[in-house]
Amino acid sequence: MTTLPIKNKIRELRFFAEEMTQQELAELVGVTRQTIMAIEKCKYSPTLEMAFKIAEVFGQSIDEVFQYQSA
Amino acid sequence: MNMSFREKSIWISLISTLLIFGNYFLNVISLGGLPQEAAKVAALGLSLRAIFLIIIVEIIFQGMLVVSNRKAAEFGADERDKLFTYKGNNFGYTVLAIGVFISLGWSVLLEINPEFIAQFNLLKVPLMTAHILLFSFIFSEVVRFSAQLYYYRRCD
Repeated sequence: MTTLPIKNKIRELRFFAEEMTQQELAELVGVTRQTIMAIEKCKYSPTLEMAFKIAEVFGQSIDEVFQYQSA
Repeated sequence: MNMSFREKSIWISLISTLLIFGNYFLNVISLGGLPQEAAKVAALGLSLRAIFLIIIVEIIFQGMLVVSNRKAAEFGADERDKLFTYKGNNFGYTVLAIGVFISLGWSVLLEINPEFIAQFNLLKVPLMTAHILLFSFIFSEVVRFSAQLYYYRRCD
């Protein structure tokens, strides 16, 4: 399976946020757990709005959570 | 396999559509040898039975899914679900448009050359234009569901 060029540190950030579960993060940003899982695995690129929401949950700027890695 | 509520719902729709309308189209093809009037009645009966069955099966199975996943059902679609729905609709629409043009071509062909159908026994199915249209619609639904499931699986 191909992964997308937008990488992220969500898993790491969840761990440092008192081991927040995917379900908890999903409820905070208003998506399903499967969507959070797909974003973490870089199989789905979130919209800009969703990326901002996720960054906001962790109190980080968007570029600290998401990085674009060109091929 | 880790499936969301929406994905499970699409699987139910795909499987029930394939089984019910697959059976319907197989039966319709076998009407080719019957006398025209009897075949028309039988074709209409088959259509009504298939439509009735799909409504009942969808209500029962989608209802069971909602009851067992109440929270997810109330949540609705998120941005990923909406994106996959949109992509699936694009594929489905293309198939439907092709089917509509085929049925248009069929009608025009019969208007220009009514003897055409006499050469092919398999095509002597009553209400053929309606069947082509219905088949196009059902096939477009199958393509739509399959495309959505493809994106869900690719993303899993």
